[in-house]
Parts: sequence; structure tokens; C-alpha cells
Amino acid sequence: MRRVILLSSLAYALLFLGLGTLNGGMLALAIPLVVLLGAAFLWRPETPQLRIVRSLSAESVSPGTPVVVTLSVVNEGSPLEEVAIEDAVPPALEVIDGEASTLSSLPMGGEIEIAYTVRGKRGAFEFRDVRVAAGEHLGVFRQHATFPVPGRLFVLPEISRMRQVAIRPLRTRAYAGCIPARQGGGGVAFYGVREYQPGDPLRWINWRVSARHRHQVFTNEFEQERVADVGLILDARRRSNIRGAGGMLFEYAVAATASLALSFLNDGNRVGLLVYGGFLDWTFPGYGRLQRKRILETLARAETGASMVFESFDYLPTRFFPAKSQLVLVSPLCDSDPPMLVQLRARGYQLLVISPDPVSFEARMLGAQPDVELAARIALLERALLLRRLRRAGIQVVDWQVDQPLDRVVHASLARTPQWFRAVGVEV
Amino acid sequence: MQKAERRATAWLLPAGIVLACAVLALGLGLNGSWGGVLVALVVGAFWLVGRWRRWGWVASMALVLLIGMAVVGQVGGAGGGWMLVGVVVALVAWDLDHFTWRMQAAGCVKDFDALERRHLWRLLIVAGAGLFLGAVALSVKIRLSFVVALLLAFLAVLGLSRVVGLLQREERGGISLFGRD
Repeated sequence: MRRVILLSSLAYALLFLGLGTLNGGMLALAIPLVVLLGAAFLWRPETPQLRIVRSLSAESVSPGTPVVVTLSVVNEGSPLEEVAIEDAVPPALEVIDGEASTLSSLPMGGEIEIAYTVRGKRGAFEFRDVRVAAGEHLGVFRQHATFPVPGRLFVLPEISRMRQVAIRPLRTRAYAGCIPARQGGGGVAFYGVREYQPGDPLRWINWRVSARHRHQVFTNEFEQERVADVGLILDARRRSNIRGAGGMLFEYAVAATASLALSFLNDGNRVGLLVYGGFLDWTFPGYGRLQRKRILETLARAETGASMVFESFDYLPTRFFPAKSQLVLVSPLCDSDPPMLVQLRARGYQLLVISPDPVSFEARMLGAQPDVELAARIALLERALLLRRLRRAGIQVVDWQVDQPLDRVVHASLARTPQWFRAVGVEV
Repeated sequence: MQKAERRATAWLLPAGIVLACAVLALGLGLNGSWGGVLVALVVGAFWLVGRWRRWGWVASMALVLLIGMAVVGQVGGAGGGWMLVGVVVALVAWDLDHFTWRMQAAGCVKDFDALERRHLWRLLIVAGAGLFLGAVALSVKIRLSFVVALLLAFLAVLGLSRVVGLLQREERGGISLFGRD
């Protein structure tokens, strides 16, 4: 019951009784209550007029990193005898030190600072309002106000360092990079031999070939290395991701996408990101540190979603990606996915699929039971068939057991088998 | 920065509860109303147990019961002074109870000692004024006709309701940050 209602009800009751029974003693009993109400009314607070500024010790952090949130509150109105200030902390963040609310008195022009430390898992967290309740010392009357004090904290996905990922898109960009461009020119890897042209360095002359021709000189040609367009696609469909007590497969996919994005950006490529799930979250392709920030922020807020439209890859918006560019899909894959992926390949995109293995992930969560093992074997066979279909269509596939380091798995899968191995028909 | 802890209120609150019940019990006992004495003691014990078990609603219920007993005592002819003192002390205890809850509900209390000191001073002034005016009211004898009494009742109700209505309008739409109201 609110204090003011209780006090006034009791005062009313005593007044009525006193006047009804013409009992002065009863009226005298009402007087302390009326005095209390009157005093509270006399000292009642005015609407709080505060200037509140929020600052965060960091705006982008890795998971579990503590962030100090500081609120500076200045009273620009009349003095406040008791003021409770509470910051609305996003529920997914954990306050590990300090308090997000405080009670204090605040004189005119006075200032207080509220500092607390939070940490959280991957996500984009919005700080919005600060709620304020001002009251007099007797606590009978209050004035409430809400001050919008926006702030944003990105807890970025875990990033593991990766070596250069061997991709070979059909088309590269004009700038020098480290991706073989399928064109002769200046480079490191031998590409071919052509007739000598004035200006070619003498040390490039291929004397063996030239010796076979009486009137012609030939020079070696090297494969140009350039930067490329890389389109990352993160599968955020709820149906393809598995959630369990041990975590969520999607978190591994997000971490893998972040690591790949960083690897490609570090190599100077132009990288874009599409999160394909409940809706399309598109990060326009770009280079460098700014693009790194954009992509990581997009990944920080990425969530799985269900949508009738984006249930399959049929509506994958290929217009976002330059023709013949490299696409990297990070997806556990569903049975219905191969046709669309094969279509992408047919349209000239070079496609690399990094597929976190959902079967092993779920089997590990369920534990070692005979039924589970049998079911997992059947599911693994189905998955092996699915991956084989993709490989036959010329799609590079990396089958990733999420308990193994992505870098090692990717390099083992994409490394070219030595020539002498291939000569005897051995594929590594 | 200081976590909200009870200090002076830690002993003032139980002392206030005990005193309020004791004064009312004494007033009723002197009048020979032994049932009233028993009820006052039970209410006091109930209030103390409620504090211990952190039942937030006990204080308001105890205040209503103690004021009800004061009314019964007043009607039954018990000493008006005892009843007045009992009501004032019960009011003080009720307010201290709320103050304690408020401090505990706040995550962090800055300068708790100053807040508590100012609160106690304000409470002392209000309780003193209430006691003084109540005592004056008890000692002054004015004979009122029914019409005057009716007029006074009308004015009292009108004035009080306007004040309460005004304050509730000002307060409406807020979110309680002080824990219980």
C-alpha cells in the first residue's frame, strides 16, 4: 500500500470518527498523521532536472572482458533530499563489481558518479534509460523521471588468428595482394613462358627454352597476386543450428566467420558479410580496419532467426556479391542446401563452405550411449553424402569438428596435395 | 560510497516498536482493558517477527492495528495522553521501518550517515510537532454544535482530499526505485 494512501486513509478515518462521535481525543489522534502528511507536502520534491552523462571504459571488447560503466549525474534543478538513480543494465550483462543504482542526496549543482563493472557474452548491448526517483526524507511523496542516456557496448566474438586461407576466385581486383590472379606478370609463382619483350629483366630469360629456338628469346612469366572480393555468408537459420546445454553451434560459426574475415582483411582483400537468418543483415564490402570494425559489430549482434522466406538458401541475394568473386559460406548445412550452392558455383562464384559438424556436436552433448552412437553414425553417413555432392560440384568444403582449431582444419583441407603424391593417385 | 546498513535505526526501530506497544498496553492496562494489553503485545511481537523475517507488509498492518487500538482505548475511556504518545511512537517506528527498507532496497547508499541523520532530525521535528499539537488538542475543550462539526468535517475532508489528489497526480506514472512504497 502506498504510504500516502495509508496515511490519508487513517487520517480520514480518525477525523470522521472524531467528528461523528464528537470525541476530541479521536481528533487529537489524527493530528500526528496530518502533521506528517503536511510536513511531507511542505518538503515535497520538485521534478528532478538532472544532466546525466554515460561513459564506458571500452565500446568493443572480447567476451568476458570487464567494462566499467560510469554515470556522471549533475543536479541542474532544486536540491533533492533523497534521490534514487538506477541505470537500466541490459539483462544479458552481468554486473560483477559496484552497483547500477544508488541512493543519495543531491544539492543544487551537486554531482555524483555511479560506477559499476559489467561483463557479458557475445552480443550488442544497448544502454537506454536512467530512472530517477526523488523523494523527501520522510519518504511519503516521490517524483519520478526517466532520462534517456544512450550507450552501446559490443562484446565481439572470439577471434583466433589464422594463416592465409588459400582461395582462388575467378576474378581479382586491380590492386596487388596475395591471391593468385590467374594472369601472368610480376609475382613469385611460375606461371608460364612467353616471347621476350623489350623491358623484361634479363634474369627472367628462360635460357633453356630460348636455346631451342634460333631467332627467339623467351622469358619466364609469373602469376600475378592481387586482392580479391570475398563475400562471407553466415548461416543464422535456426533450423540449421543446434542449441544444447554445452552451448550453441552458432557461436562456433560466428567465431569462425570473425576469424576468416580478419584473415581476409589482413591480406588486403575487400570483404563483405551477409548474415542469413531471420532477416538479411548485410555489411557492404570494404577494406581495412574500419571494415574489420563493421564486420565484428555485425557479428556481435548476429542471432539465429526463423523465417519462412529464408528457410532455405533459395533467396540468397547473389546481387550483393560481385560476379566471379569468392564466396565463403559458414554453415552446418541442411539437406535442402546443395542445389542452391551448386547453382552459385554454376554462376561462376568460387565457393568455399566451412561447415561446423552438427552431428558430432550433438552427439557429444548427448553422451556415449549405444542408441546415440548408432544414430550419429547414420547421421554422419548422410552428412558425408551431402558434402560429397558439394565437392563433386567443384565446391571446396571444410568439414569442421568444432573441438579442433579452425586454422588447422582449414589448412589441412585446402592444402594442395604434393605433386608426387598426386602422381601415384594419393589424395591427402 | 557505502553500502546501506542500519546504524542508529538498527536499535531505534525495535525500540520504537516496543515502546509504541508498551505505551498503548500501559494506557489500556491502567484502564483495566487486559484484552487490549494482550493484543498490543501480540501486535508488537508480530511486528518484530515480521522485521526479522523481512515481511514488508507487517509494518503498515501493525500501524493500522495500533491506531485501531488507540481508537478503542479512546472510546473506552483510556488516558488520551497514553494513546496519543502510543500513536506518535507507532508512527515513528512505522517510518523508521520504511526508511530501513528504502536503504536496503537501494543498491548503494552514498553518505548513509548524513542521510540517516537528516531523516532522524526531520522525523523528530514532525513527531514533536504532532505530539505537541495533539497534546494541545487534548487539553483544549471546545464545545461544537452539530452543524459546526459537520462543516468542519466537510472542510477537513475537502482539504485533505485536495492535497492527496494533487500529490498523487504529481506522482502518477512513476516507477518505484525505493523498493516498497
